[in-house]
Amino acid sequence: MTSIGTGYDLSASTYSPDGRIFQVEYANKAVENSGTAIGLRCKDGVVIAVEKLVHSKLLVPGANRRIQTVDRHIGLATAGLMADGRHIANRARDEAASFRDIYRSPPPLKTIVDRVGLFVQAFTLYSSVRPFGISTILGAVDKDGPALYVVEPSGVFYGYHGAAVGKGRQLAKTELEKLKLAELSTREAVTEAARIIYAVHEDSKEKEFELEMSWIGNESKGVFVPVPEDLLAEAERKAKEALENFE
Amino acid sequence: MVAVPDMDSLVNPQQRQFNPYTENGGTILAIAGADFTVIAGDTRQSEGYSIQTRYAPKVFRLTDKAVLAVNGFAADGNMFVKKVKQRLEWYRHAHAKDMPLRAIARLIQTMLYARRFFPFYVYNILGGIEDDGTGAVYSFDPVGSYERETCRAAGAAQSLVQPFLDNQIYFKNQLAAPGMSHPTHLPLPDVLSIVIDSFTSATERHIEVGDGLEMYVVLAKGRGLGGMEAIGGVQELSERTEGERLFVVRRELKKD
Amino acid sequence: MDHFPTNWGRPRNDAYDSYGTYPIPHRPYNGPKDAFGEGVQRTQQPIVTGTSVLAIKYKDGIMMAADNLASYGSLARFKDVQRLTAVGEFTVIGASGDMSDFQYIQSMLDDKMVEEFTSQDGHALGPAEIHEYLSFIMYGRRTKMDPLWNSFLVGGFKEGQRFLAYVDLLGTTYSASAMATGYGAHIALPLLRTAVEGKENLLTEEQAQKILEECMKVLFYRDARSLNKYQIATITAAGPSISESRELATSWSFAEGIRGYGAQTQ
Repeated sequence: MTSIGTGYDLSASTYSPDGRIFQVEYANKAVENSGTAIGLRCKDGVVIAVEKLVHSKLLVPGANRRIQTVDRHIGLATAGLMADGRHIANRARDEAASFRDIYRSPPPLKTIVDRVGLFVQAFTLYSSVRPFGISTILGAVDKDGPALYVVEPSGVFYGYHGAAVGKGRQLAKTELEKLKLAELSTREAVTEAARIIYAVHEDSKEKEFELEMSWIGNESKGVFVPVPEDLLAEAERKAKEALENFE
Repeated sequence: MVAVPDMDSLVNPQQRQFNPYTENGGTILAIAGADFTVIAGDTRQSEGYSIQTRYAPKVFRLTDKAVLAVNGFAADGNMFVKKVKQRLEWYRHAHAKDMPLRAIARLIQTMLYARRFFPFYVYNILGGIEDDGTGAVYSFDPVGSYERETCRAAGAAQSLVQPFLDNQIYFKNQLAAPGMSHPTHLPLPDVLSIVIDSFTSATERHIEVGDGLEMYVVLAKGRGLGGMEAIGGVQELSERTEGERLFVVRRELKKD
Repeated sequence: MDHFPTNWGRPRNDAYDSYGTYPIPHRPYNGPKDAFGEGVQRTQQPIVTGTSVLAIKYKDGIMMAADNLASYGSLARFKDVQRLTAVGEFTVIGASGDMSDFQYIQSMLDDKMVEEFTSQDGHALGPAEIHEYLSFIMYGRRTKMDPLWNSFLVGGFKEGQRFLAYVDLLGTTYSASAMATGYGAHIALPLLRTAVEGKENLLTEEQAQKILEECMKVLFYRDARSLNKYQIATITAAGPSISESRELATSWSFAEGIRGYGAQTQ
């Protein structure tokens, strides 16, 4: 960030002399400050988990979910500005509904990600708008099986076996790489996801957090829903146990 | 004057057009007393010779002192009642009180006339208690003409019931005993008997009337129950006993 | 600009009005037309149609029946059509009337259910809400003079409550414990009422099924637009379930005795 203060970072519609768009890079900073979100594409489904930092004890437990539902079979989690996350979820819902309207069939995740990516990218072109301060993990089981994507503030998107965004992404990625995701069942992935979120949470620096987790697979009858409470509690118990053993 | 056939109809084939209306039978009736009002309707809903259901209410509580009976095309009737209720709720939110009866009557006129060129095909009878404590009945035509009356019947058996009411309520074609005059208002038990007789008779002679009878009784503030005691199957709808009181009486009618 | 020279300067039609006796407002219009005016079409009549739907209340919930025929006028055009459809976890809709309008409504309701699902607010639409929504759609379209040409029965079971109601192309609604649409309202409903009214809380699933089967049989004998292949739907505390297609066992031996149909020649 040596070029800060040179005037090339005031607008998303201005390149710096070495071809960068600073506003987009700043948007990535907003993502990096956020609680971690991870996604696991496994053998028979997808699991998405979020470390939701609770900034006040006055908040109702379970409120302000960071994992949202786009369609029966599609869900997403965002890291970054909460309000931007809601906006992107609404857009994704509209796109999914419009696909259904035109093609009378459930949209493949790739199509939705493609359209969301285009939408996000449009906010990197004009001086009158700011880019989205979020990275979005989208997961689904569609006609081609389990699918997992991440859309970044620049509008680029990649498909993944395992994805991590937000503060603890580096460690989370390392942990994800150790897993044999293609052989993992969704039920096993729930335990792993919980363990990773607990592992990357920095107890010393951070406030309280809630583990938020949703999944889709045969066990959820092919719809994207929150992981059942008993299973979530069990996964959290194991995660805390693993953390103590590790330390 | 000789009617000129439309030339277009000679040249082009005629298209049958969709008819957005139907008639769902039934009859409604309201009678005002000095300090009460009775609003009643049967509960049969029919189309042609088919009885669709034996219980479809045509009389609706609007407030503790206003009751609306709606008769004609049932879909329009239900939608109209829904819209009136919504307007009354907005009024409550804005003014923290229920809309007075005469204001509801004018509101209904406005709402009906707003659809002058695609009318709600419904005859409305509004009954209740005015701000001065008197019983009142307002009757409307489908496009909003209205007036305050002492009694009114509408619907399928209007032509059977109204003359009976004219005779029994307004004492038409009756001579008062020498030195006596006809009363301007009847007591509640007499009114209830007349309503019940009206509907049992209409049920006998009109195929679209029958199955069940719902009578709403609105009593003015501070008035005793005088006359209600003798009637069976009474259910109170008002929550407070100090203001106007609202009751509903349900009875069976013949189902053939 | 009217590009057809035959229309120029010809305010009257010689075939019908050779002496120009028709008043001007009654003469055919030969001026320019809105090229797309004809493009706006509304349903003025049903095309591919389904006949009656039957439904009753019974001990455990609601049971419905409809055959698998979609007719094109008097032609039995499609003989494998589902006219009963589940909407969400608590509701089944049975449709008679225009089948394309029905398919449109199915997709519209599915969109609505997806919208409700994605809000994840812990509230699910039950039969009462779906019926109310459907009746608003139907009444709204009739008010636009562009009706959806159907009669529907909406049956459901939620929170221990049975629900059964009707809505049609005029937006007319009502509820009862035995209901039928179309021809069934004339032929089957009297039988259903005798069998069901007053016994809503006693009838077992087997009894309810037998009543509906009997009525479907009567309808097949008497309704020329019906089929001996039908489905039954139940909606109970366990949710909706729609059966596979089943055949009606019918007997035609009596036909032998009918003059002009059987063996007799005189």
